[in-house]
Amino acid sequence: MIHGVLIFNTSGVARLTKFYTPLHQSPQTLVQKIFSLVSSRPPGLCNFLDAPELEAFLGPKKKDDERWRVVYRSYATLHFVFVVDGAESELGILDLIQVFVESLDRTFENVCELDLVFHFDEAHHILAEIIQGGLVLETNIEEIDASVHQATKARKESFASANPLALGVGGLGVRGVNQTPLGWLTGKLTGVGAR
Amino acid sequence: MWERTLQDLIRGLRANKKDESKFISKAVDEIRMEIKSEDMELKAGAVLKLTYLDMLGYDMSWASFHVVEVMSSPRYHLKTVGYLAATQTFNQDTDVLMLTTNLLKKDLTSAPADVAVTLNGISHIVTPDLARDLSHELLTMLTHSRANIRKRAVLVLYKVITMNPDVAERAIARLKEKLDDPDPGVVAATVNVICELARRNPSDYLDLAPQLFHLMTTSPNNWMLIKIIKLFGSLSPHEPRLVKKLQPPITELISTTPAISLLYECVHTCIIGGMLQGANGSNLARLCVSKLAAFIQDSDQNLKYIALLAMVKIVPTHPHLVAEYQDTILASVNDQDISIRMRALDLVSAMVREDNLQSIVQQILSHLVQDTSSFVSPTAAQSLAQNAILSSPGSSKSNIRPTQSPAYRLVLCERILTMCSQSMYENVTNFEWYLSVLVDLAHIANVDIGKAIRDQLVDIVGRVKSARRYAVKLMYSLLSDDSMLLNAQDEGSCSEVLWAAAWICGEYCSELAEPQKLIPYFLRPEMSNLTPDIVAVYLQAAVKVFGYWAAELAQRWSWANDDLPDVKEIVDSMVVGMKEFVTSPHIEVQERAANAIQLFNFIQADLSAYPSKATDHTGEQSDETMFTDEPNFPKSLFLLNPLFASEFNPVAVNAQASVPVPAGLDLDAWIVPPPVVNGTADQEAGSSDLKKVKKSKKGKGKEITANGTKGKKKAVGREMEGELIPSEPAETAEERAERERVPYIHEYLVQRKAERLERLKDDPYYIIDDKPPPKPTEDVDSIPIVRLDDMPSLIPDFKDMGPPILRDRPPSLEPTVIDRVGEMPEGAIASPPLPQQSSSRPSTPAQSSFPTYDVAEDIEIPRTNSVDPIKVTRVKKKKGTGKKKPTVV
Repeated sequence: MIHGVLIFNTSGVARLTKFYTPLHQSPQTLVQKIFSLVSSRPPGLCNFLDAPELEAFLGPKKKDDERWRVVYRSYATLHFVFVVDGAESELGILDLIQVFVESLDRTFENVCELDLVFHFDEAHHILAEIIQGGLVLETNIEEIDASVHQATKARKESFASANPLALGVGGLGVRGVNQTPLGWLTGKLTGVGAR
Repeated sequence: MWERTLQDLIRGLRANKKDESKFISKAVDEIRMEIKSEDMELKAGAVLKLTYLDMLGYDMSWASFHVVEVMSSPRYHLKTVGYLAATQTFNQDTDVLMLTTNLLKKDLTSAPADVAVTLNGISHIVTPDLARDLSHELLTMLTHSRANIRKRAVLVLYKVITMNPDVAERAIARLKEKLDDPDPGVVAATVNVICELARRNPSDYLDLAPQLFHLMTTSPNNWMLIKIIKLFGSLSPHEPRLVKKLQPPITELISTTPAISLLYECVHTCIIGGMLQGANGSNLARLCVSKLAAFIQDSDQNLKYIALLAMVKIVPTHPHLVAEYQDTILASVNDQDISIRMRALDLVSAMVREDNLQSIVQQILSHLVQDTSSFVSPTAAQSLAQNAILSSPGSSKSNIRPTQSPAYRLVLCERILTMCSQSMYENVTNFEWYLSVLVDLAHIANVDIGKAIRDQLVDIVGRVKSARRYAVKLMYSLLSDDSMLLNAQDEGSCSEVLWAAAWICGEYCSELAEPQKLIPYFLRPEMSNLTPDIVAVYLQAAVKVFGYWAAELAQRWSWANDDLPDVKEIVDSMVVGMKEFVTSPHIEVQERAANAIQLFNFIQADLSAYPSKATDHTGEQSDETMFTDEPNFPKSLFLLNPLFASEFNPVAVNAQASVPVPAGLDLDAWIVPPPVVNGTADQEAGSSDLKKVKKSKKGKGKEITANGTKGKKKAVGREMEGELIPSEPAETAEERAERERVPYIHEYLVQRKAERLERLKDDPYYIIDDKPPPKPTEDVDSIPIVRLDDMPSLIPDFKDMGPPILRDRPPSLEPTVIDRVGEMPEGAIASPPLPQQSSSRPSTPAQSSFPTYDVAEDIEIPRTNSVDPIKVTRVKKKKGTGKKKPTVV
């Protein structure tokens, strides 16, 4: 099964952390460890992170088949990391990361790091349409997209009915809804890759 | 109205990077206010902010109750916030989960969107209790009209089944039905769950094979196919017929599928599912290996990686097939990618055989060497290496570097050791080569592997007699090499190897032409760099080397070559050198040094008294005839020779367990009966007499232990002097009746005593509040101590072979020549009866040649005539201590 999904940027700041099994240490240290290993790998190497330092981090050494593996893919400023065990196909997980990223891309339209920064809850909702409790729920992008849309719509309707006077303002909208010019500016000034 | 939203919080965080903690503590204060608000909207906003902060590592467990509040909101957009927070932060120990049962039940019956969120939430937060309470609702969800909900319900069931085995049976039955669901997504989810479950307990799912087989041959969904193939991988080892059935379609898939992930899973399943046996199997195996080999040679690093992963599993059954690609695989050990290297190392160590071991080890060693040479400053070198890789991804030398991490070096070192030592050095043909590899490794490892190398060195020298000579030579150079000693305190210096060096040189100094030259190396002031256990071995080695050399000298003593000044000089230097360590704070070192000094003082005295004696004799007798009368050399030269009384041999793992219990030894019998009598008396006496009773009890306890120790001492000699035996029963005769009851009432008595003390506590006339606790421990102590004194001499001599005290109590002797594989286990197992005892004598050097010196004789006699190893060692030990006293005094 899938034990964790992490997204962090090229400076090691977590953008999304999701764990499906209890960890031996705090998620932050794990992110830091994986980040330090992933970021030292030049492009062109394989997508499987396998380092002696890691084994101590992912729990005691078990049977080979139960060993946790770290599969990662890097897109622009973001690293997408899946921690899985032997029940998952390594290449299948690589495809799944692609599916996840494409789903994000469809929802956010040209997803970039800032989308994940300001809508981390939305990213979680999308992930929940792909993986539930560590097991893969759906791999078909169309299906995922449809469910995401449905859920987003339901949230919007619910919000609207609760705040009849609000003009789409609220903490739960999709991108653009709540982006004031000033906010956009601060975002630009501090730059992508910073918190 | 003016509260921060999540976006405001994030923006604030980005704007306040310099003073983040201050900003966050302020934000958390606000959140604490908001979260208590009546306004659900505000509360949900606060929870969402907390969830974000939780990701950054700030604790939000204090807010779990509020999370549940938000979860219970009827508004969908708020409910999702609550469930998100719950999935992110709740764990099995979150106490508010108990409150959620009814909430979850209610949510499962509301609108489909709510149900989806709830199911997703449950699969994260489910506990055994929740699993039990919600199982009914969740099972009904399996027949929900929407496929999306059914899918989620199937996945939730996995968690429910793993959490609560009581529900499992019912749930699994319902789950199996879902393989026939009209929606392919639900079927895929079901396969997914069954695949997970079957990994734990494959035999329960064998009956699904036909259905799965049908799915495998008809479904177009690659993801599900992969899962089904994986599932068959865990099922087929439990059902041989399945293998036959699966072989054709899987072979078909392997040769036709365009999806590499599916192809790989098929190959993988063939390997782990045991489909490569039999007539058809070998063809399939060839096909699999050729596919994997193609992967390894592929430019795609991912394929390379997984191919190596699968190859490891095929090596045990089809080593010859993999061996064809040995060169390709060895090349991957040099890959620039550490992930691939790790897996290649795995594979390579699985492939090791006699004929390729040396080349493989040499290659791994070369990695370590290259890395150390560039080990100036790791970070700089690393970045350089990375640049080098980026610029020239083909060149071999520069791209070996990204792997300087100590952890990787440690893995390399461990791999070398395990590769060579596996199944008792099965693959090592040339031990001189391996010994030098070990020494090289100690020099270049630069990680903390010294202990393992030390153990291997000692082990090899013990097991492989033919390698001793070379080992001593190597160790000599190691000891005389300053660098190791001076750097001993550096991390990764592997100074433990010096332990082995000292031990081996001390033990087998007979291989050296001039052992006395080694002595100065054992007494250098720089040794303070070493850890105390190594120093202790050094000192012991010094004594041993001297002992051997002196005895040898004495044997060829003559007036022609005057060795006396040499001996004197060395003895003096020994005394001086040892003095350094007498004040060592480490008891082991201190004691050894102190002992040695006493012995050498004695030798010194004897030597200085010698010349005058000698001149008396030389006039009258020739050297040869002296043999029978007085020796013509200083007698004290033989003082330390008994250190070589026997040889150390490897001891079989179960040697100790196979030591027979000597006749008449009843391990269950009380050696010192516990003080029961008084306990019972006490009971009857009542509370008025308590003080008195207690006193008498104390006295008696002592008496008994005294008897015990007396008995023990006698017991040691008992086997020789029969008369002592009756004396012990005489004393215990009265108590025997009670003694037999003891084990049963003992516990009860202890309890009674505790009760009594409890009563006394409240009695103002007894000021014993503080006393009682120590007293019972005293009582308890006195019993085992007595027993321990008696027992250890029975067993431990067989036990350990490594520790520095080796010298003092040699283990049972096996004369068997331990060539390579160490026949030792058999020898040791056979040894308890000790059939070969007598034959062991010849192997001990220079022992019987000088009957004048009674030390050697003393040790020897008990050993030869003993039948029972336990008695032997005990007697020997006793005599040994007895022996020393007279000589020293």
